[in-house]
This record gives sequence, C-alpha cells and structure tokens, in this order.
Amino acid sequence: MTLAERLAAYLSRTEGRPVTVENLARISGGASRETYRYDAVSEEGRRPCILRRDPPDSLIDTDRRLEFLAIRSFLGRQVAAPEALVLEIEGGELERPFFIMGRVEGGSPASPFAVDPYGTHAAEIGEQFFSIMGRIAAEPVDGLPILEAADRPAPDACWRRELDYWAGVIDADELHPQPIVRAAIRRLRTSPPPPATKVAVVHGDFRSGNFLHDGSGRILALLDWEMAHLGDPLEDLAWAMDPLWSRQGDPRISGMVPVDEALAIWRRASGLEVDPKALAWWRLFASVKGQAIWTSSAKAWLDGGMKEPILLFSGWFTARAQDEILARHLSELGPA
Amino acid sequence: MTPSLPTILMGQVISLSAPAPPEASGDYAVSRGGMVAMLLMLSAQEAERGPAARAWENGALRALLAEAAGGYDEALGGALSAAAGVTDGDCGWSALDAANADLRRRLIALHEAAEARHDAGLQRRILDLYVEMAKARHVDLPGPAAG
Repeated sequence: MTLAERLAAYLSRTEGRPVTVENLARISGGASRETYRYDAVSEEGRRPCILRRDPPDSLIDTDRRLEFLAIRSFLGRQVAAPEALVLEIEGGELERPFFIMGRVEGGSPASPFAVDPYGTHAAEIGEQFFSIMGRIAAEPVDGLPILEAADRPAPDACWRRELDYWAGVIDADELHPQPIVRAAIRRLRTSPPPPATKVAVVHGDFRSGNFLHDGSGRILALLDWEMAHLGDPLEDLAWAMDPLWSRQGDPRISGMVPVDEALAIWRRASGLEVDPKALAWWRLFASVKGQAIWTSSAKAWLDGGMKEPILLFSGWFTARAQDEILARHLSELGPA
Repeated sequence: MTPSLPTILMGQVISLSAPAPPEASGDYAVSRGGMVAMLLMLSAQEAERGPAARAWENGALRALLAEAAGGYDEALGGALSAAAGVTDGDCGWSALDAANADLRRRLIALHEAAEARHDAGLQRRILDLYVEMAKARHVDLPGPAAG
C-alpha cells in the first residue's frame, strides 16, 4: 500500500466513515519529522491538511505529543498557530507516530538562502514576528494544554535544565572533539543568568524560516513547534537573534528589524523587561543549542544510512558556521 | 568536527541512487536535488582546502601544547608534550582527523586547566586560536547561513 492509501485507511477507521487522501506530497522543511501535504476528502468535503510523521532517524529526539499540545495551546490566541487535529502515538496504519494539522494556504517560508528574504515588507514582518513571540511569552501557562506533557521548571532552574539537556546531546552524539562549544558550555555553567522573570511557553525554534508569510507582509502561520517547552521566554528571543539566521553585515535580525527595535516590540507584546545580563547568557546558549542540534544532525545522517541531504547540510555547513559564531563570541567575552 | 569528505561524497552517491517513493517526487525531489548540488559545491571547496586546514590546525595545536606543557604538572604536561611530539606522517583524511581528535582532546584539557588557574594570557591565546580554527574550516555558500 502507498502512504496515501495507508493514511486513508487510518482516517476511515478512526472517523468511522470513508475518507480518501488526494494530492499527498512530501514537502521540505522540519528536518526532524517527515512532512506531507494532502487533501482529506469525505462526505463533508475537502480539507487541506499537513501530516507530520516521525522519521526512522530524527534530527532531534523530540516528543510529538508535546509539539501537538503546544500547537493546540495557542489556537485562536493571535500567535498564528495552525490547527492541531489528530495525534497518533502508536502509528496505526502509518507504522510510525504522527500528527495531523490543518493546512494554512497562501504562504511560504523564507528561503534560508535568500539575501533579502522579506524585501520591502521586512519591517512589517519583524513587527509581527516579535509581537507573536512576545504574545507567547505573555500567555499565562496555567490551563494550557501543553501542561499535560511539559514539566514546569522553577524560574531559577530554566537555564540549567536547558543547558544540561543540550550539553547531553553533544555528549551523546559528538563524532569528534569540539573544543569551542565545550568552552562555551563551561562559560555558561560558571556564569549563570538571573532567574527567569516568568516561566512561559518557549517555542524552541522561533526563527526566520519557521513561519509562513504571504509575500505581502503578513505572517500566516508559525511552524515547527517540535522543541516547545516551558522555560525562560528570553530563550526564544536569543535564539531568533543568533547570527546564524542573519546575513553577515546586515544589522537587522534575519533581515527584519534592528536589535533595539526587536526588543522594543517584544517588550510591548510580552509586558516583560529584558535583563541585558540574562539575554547575553541566553544568546551564548543559543549558539550552544544550535551546535548541539547540528552535531545531532550529523550523527542522524550517518545512522540513517546517509540518505537525507538536509541532515548532512545541517551537520556540516551549518555546524561550521555555528563554530565560527561561537568562537567569535567567546573571543569577544575574553578570558573567564 | 563534521563528516569527512570521503563520507560526504559517499552519502551523495547514496542520496542520488536511492529510489524515491511516489509521494516524495515533484517539488520535494527538485528541492532535494538542489540540496545535493549544494553539497557537491561545498565538497569541491573541501577537497581544495580541507587537507591544508587540517594540517595547519594540527601544527598550530602541537605548537601551543608544546609551549604550554612546561607550565603544568607532570600528568597534564607529559600528556601535552607527548601529543605535541607526534607528526602528521600520513596526509590522508582519516589519519589527519585521527591526529586532530587527539590534539583537540588535549586542547580541551589545557583550556580547562588554564581556566582553573585563571591564566588569562593562555586563555586569550586559546580563544584566538579557536577563531582561527573555525575560520580555517569555513566553506562558502551564496547568501546567508542556514539551518
């Protein structure tokens, strides 16, 4: 059976009515899950959907239930979250865990290779991007579906939990000694940030390229919630600011807005202040987390039989770019 | 450290020769093909610069370890001296990488020791070396970086 036939069998069984799957096609992006677009056709009509299926070897070991519940937490809360429809942990007819979301039509993500990804709409996109991020930070955690699957750390434990996790990923997946990121990890441990001013939902991969925009200055959907968790909201801010996502020499974050403007937008939307010392810590952490992901990517590429070029790209080119960023950052900080 | 060029090239052979299921044709196949082309372009740069970058880094690390060895106790200093005394006899990718792995482990130990001693001068040298090491392995891509 083809994947489309198996998916149709699953939907027909679980919905208790005949469902056919049309126009199923794999799409790029979201390297930690296989992502497909399709139309589900039933007696009620045609519904455009996205299928996110666990691959045999993943870029990062993420919890699809957490991702599903994070998306569900923000439906209708003005953060451009898509609609989370179905979560299947056992895999059913598709043999691997998956979930299904409503498909948002009419937009595309920015290409990571674009020199000026948003053109004349850069400021509008930047305003929405940092406003959405701020609104996620502002959302009270109590009562959100994500609490069913996510631990809530104490404000002074957010940094350690994240650092321990990503340092552990490097320990587990490193193929070759990496002195630069090791030095950064030591630096982070010996100079922790102040406690989080608030424990909030952290998207975990909030950056250029992870949202759909309509080409006319409007963000339509925020994607790739697979690293969502509860923690210090400055983590998202710092991740988006990592130089990896910006063209060298462009003072704007990811070709959107300059840093000061981004921080002002985020403050307005979140109602939170930005402690410079805390943000500095999270910015170095962002590069460590990035390097952990790229390290994991190289290992996943090898373990998966060297089939997925995107994993190699992340584990090779992006890892080296991240090392350059980390080395410059450490050099600017100077001796410990 | 990232996969070595022979492994990278073998991976592209596998990517191109693996049959794709029907749902992974169309735009996805085009995009995947473009990614393979990009990787081959980066491979060409790596073939040109990779061995020299590794040989340079190994030399720079040996020089630093040799110089720093005398300032540390017998256990660490001896290990640093021993690592610094090895030469790159074989210029193949595997041999250079194996030597580099050992030297990088010593460098990590040296940096930790320098931090414990608050040896700002040595730390500064190591931090400067990190910048050079990362730069030496740079590969160029049109446009901004990407993940």
